Amino acid sequence: MTILRDVARGLTKMFLADAAMTAALLAVVAAAAGLIHLAGVPPLVGGGALLAGCLVVLAVSLRSAANRARK
Amino acid sequence: MAAPAISAAFLAAFVEVVEAFTIVLVVATLRGWRPALLGVGAALAVLALTVVILGPLLSLIPIAPLTLVIGVLSLVFGMGWLRKASLRAAGVIPLHDEDAEFARQSRVLQAETQGSSTQDWIAGIAAFKAVLLEGLEVAFIVIAVGSGRGLLWPASIGALVACALVLVIGAIAHKPLSRVPENTLKLVVGVMLSSFGVFWIGEGLGVDWPGGDAILFVFAALFLATGLGTAQVLRVPRPDAAR
Repeated sequence: MTILRDVARGLTKMFLADAAMTAALLAVVAAAAGLIHLAGVPPLVGGGALLAGCLVVLAVSLRSAANRARK
Repeated sequence: MAAPAISAAFLAAFVEVVEAFTIVLVVATLRGWRPALLGVGAALAVLALTVVILGPLLSLIPIAPLTLVIGVLSLVFGMGWLRKASLRAAGVIPLHDEDAEFARQSRVLQAETQGSSTQDWIAGIAAFKAVLLEGLEVAFIVIAVGSGRGLLWPASIGALVACALVLVIGAIAHKPLSRVPENTLKLVVGVMLSSFGVFWIGEGLGVDWPGGDAILFVFAALFLATGLGTAQVLRVPRPDAAR
């Protein structure tokens, strides 16, 4: 059972090492999908929003991790 | 698309196998090669079984939703590596040190096996878990970079070449491979997987990316610049840098 628990923990860590960043990325993907398929925005604009959103999430996540580490 | 996919699989497998090799070496050093190799063999068998079962299932999923799901998983996984590598580059978290890891794992295994009548079994399980956990990450990356474009075999070969290379170098050196630039490799793979992720999510949502696959280089440049640029801004002086 310990092995199964460790494997499950390892798999979870693969995608949820930083839960806030994962949640933010999923929100960006959902927003891009909404822009394209619900708001009728041209797909390329939605794709650009997706890319920009991911870059912002990365920068914000790094900054908050650094701030947490300094406290 | 083939070259970036194979490169990503090769580099990711290299990083993961180096980490698994350290633990296998701990087991071999403390308890001998027999439990180490039994653990490795059992883990490889489980991994092969997983790929044999899951591989054909992937072909049953329509390509558009598969592209979207693989894209999301690649993005989340890749950004995790990119974030960790950037934080290490900034000095916010310490660099991974295989020598220190070897020492730590040796202490853990010694404590676990002390006074036990099943020392080889416990040691074999440690090797099994290490290879299985790192191997699952490699299997995921191979599927992520290979399944969208029918590149599963080339990506698998890239990963297998990396495994063989680490094992040969490790067998010759017979010590933890601490001189491998683990953080740089992690950064590169993180950038590549994040770029693939955005590309495939876009395709899954109906985006016709200008320039086709070539736009991956633009994405990679932007992810790299953001990761390293932010790391530069957040840089914490290392204690040894003052000396």
